[in-house]
Amino acid sequence: MSYVCLWSPSWPTGADFPADLVASLLTHAPRVAVGERNLVWGDARGLHGGQLAEHMLRVAGDYGFEDAHAGVAMTPVAAEVAATQSTTQLVIVKLGQDRQFIAPYPLRVLSPSGELSALLQGLGIETCGALANLDAEAIEVRLGLDGVRLWQRARADDERWLFKLPLRSLPSASVEWVEYGLKDPERLLFVINSLAGTVCTSLVERGERAREMALVFALGNRTQRTHVIRSSRPSAEQKRWMRLVREALDTITLPDAVMGVTLRVESVTGSGGAQGDLFDRGFASAPAVEDAVIQLTDDQGDVVVMPENSGHPLLEQRTKWTARTSRASRSTISQPQPALTLQLLPSPKVVTVDTESRRDHEVPVRYLDGNEWHDIVEAAGPDRVSGGQWSSSYAREYFRCVREDGMMVWLFRGSQQQTKDWFLHGWWD
Amino acid sequence: MAPEGSFFVDSFLLSVSVRYSLIPRSFSSCDSIRLGLEMSKPSIAALRALIEQRFPDATPLTGGAQTTEQVATGIGALDRVLPNGGLPRGRLSVWAPQGGATAILRASCHSVVANGERSAWVDGDNTVAGAFWLDDHGLYLVRPKSRIHALRAAEELLRSGGFSLLVLAGAEPQGTETVRLTRAAREGGAALISIGSAASMASLRLTSRLLCYGWRRSPFGDPAEAQNVTIRVDARAVGWHAHVEFPIPVTQHELRLSLESELADRRGLPR
Repeated sequence: MSYVCLWSPSWPTGADFPADLVASLLTHAPRVAVGERNLVWGDARGLHGGQLAEHMLRVAGDYGFEDAHAGVAMTPVAAEVAATQSTTQLVIVKLGQDRQFIAPYPLRVLSPSGELSALLQGLGIETCGALANLDAEAIEVRLGLDGVRLWQRARADDERWLFKLPLRSLPSASVEWVEYGLKDPERLLFVINSLAGTVCTSLVERGERAREMALVFALGNRTQRTHVIRSSRPSAEQKRWMRLVREALDTITLPDAVMGVTLRVESVTGSGGAQGDLFDRGFASAPAVEDAVIQLTDDQGDVVVMPENSGHPLLEQRTKWTARTSRASRSTISQPQPALTLQLLPSPKVVTVDTESRRDHEVPVRYLDGNEWHDIVEAAGPDRVSGGQWSSSYAREYFRCVREDGMMVWLFRGSQQQTKDWFLHGWWD
Repeated sequence: MAPEGSFFVDSFLLSVSVRYSLIPRSFSSCDSIRLGLEMSKPSIAALRALIEQRFPDATPLTGGAQTTEQVATGIGALDRVLPNGGLPRGRLSVWAPQGGATAILRASCHSVVANGERSAWVDGDNTVAGAFWLDDHGLYLVRPKSRIHALRAAEELLRSGGFSLLVLAGAEPQGTETVRLTRAAREGGAALISIGSAASMASLRLTSRLLCYGWRRSPFGDPAEAQNVTIRVDARAVGWHAHVEFPIPVTQHELRLSLESELADRRGLPR
């Protein structure tokens, strides 16, 4: 049940309405509003509507309104009709029965305008149910916009906003001075540091993290300069925001002395992070790690990464590195075993290779990398890969070669132009 | 597989210093030296009696007090030859890049994560192949743009105090950089492993070599597929030199061929 409507025929009207009654009702209802015709509305969303209505009736009784009635319904119109038209003190409209509940009542319970009321009476429509059964287009054509609104209310289609949403204020802090103008960046930082402390403390208390802050300078020439500072990841850390402010100040040129500074949060996110594990030995240090990662991201971009692999035939094009998220893989390799794994050079490196014949193909026997020749004692291959005929074609013959010092390297022959160049592509380590 | 030489007295002294943490303030370095000298005929029971007699307020620690000082690699054979059974926390260790370092250290990183802690891999030269990177939620992979960025990233992560093991690959610190990183490791309590050869400030120096491969041969007798390799790891620290050899498998690279995912394209190259 969402709405409780409280009404009494003996309510005083206008200024005589007892204001402290509403204050008393607020001890039971989270939000109370006084609407048209002195209908008192209680917000029962998330609460037990019947109990809230009983409490409100009791409070009204304490103020001498023993004849107060209450209606509880999912829609305001049904709750209003229940409170004002029913003979019993408390009426609870069953869930989903709002339209059926108001259907037998005469149209006047919907408070139509006099002109509309006369028109409907002339058409022979007397009850809410009769109006609700009509077609929307017919109502629109014959009765206009007011008719459609009345028709909607008759169908218990009431989307009135009875309770104003509270304005969401974001933390901010400011300081102004008039006797002097500040030109020293260090002093300015000192002031901003204090403001950042206030703002970040407020964020922590609210359980939020700022994604964006605005730094507003009031200047001596009576103008304002606003600089928006963004963080790569939301944070409520003063140290972190100060670092970003410091970086921003390095790039800012102000035309006049500063007479005041405001630091305000522009956008926030909740502190919802990954669920911690109390049995995780690293649980206590998780925020510190997160902060370190954030700082790295701010300094160097998305360098803390995770791979996204495709099925591309070429290994160097198979992986796309994406920024690691807090909701990254939750898997843990339970029994890690060391294994010699292929390492790739960022781009294949041209090398000089000496080969020898092995049946129908050539295998490398040594290669020159830089100024050093490496003898090859074993060579497995070739593993032939080709493709890309519709984009950039490639054809390669790969060899896994063991050098005399034990390192296994990955050499291939071929290129986009199908030359006989040899490349060092990687090694096993 | 066993350590070269006997270091019973040294290791026992270290064990004593760890296990007896509530040494009274009257305990001085002179006592320490005297204690060491009196242990020339080591006997655990006698030493215990001596300690209890001289330091009646000392309480022996039980449990994992020692494990807080080392990071086990998770490879039993290797841990047995490392001083105190693991990589030292808060210290710099250097692993010379002669083959196998990446394999062992990557397994160590996963082992650390399996123990509920975090590890990080700073890939300074961007050689990690994404296709072979095992995604693990406690293992952070950092791919910086340059060597300096790699060192900064390592320092930042070390100072956070949230990592037990950090491997710095492809960005060998030099001179004052080593000092900074060592200090950050000490502050953060992480075991810092640098894959490189500059070992001036390292408390543990490791080298590894790939000795011999086990091949699966083709019908013609040619090598077709390397299945495993024997690796030799040498560990050196002050008063410590040990080595171990053990086999590890070789990860096969998957050749995905463009025309048919299951069949190799054998058309080859023009000759």
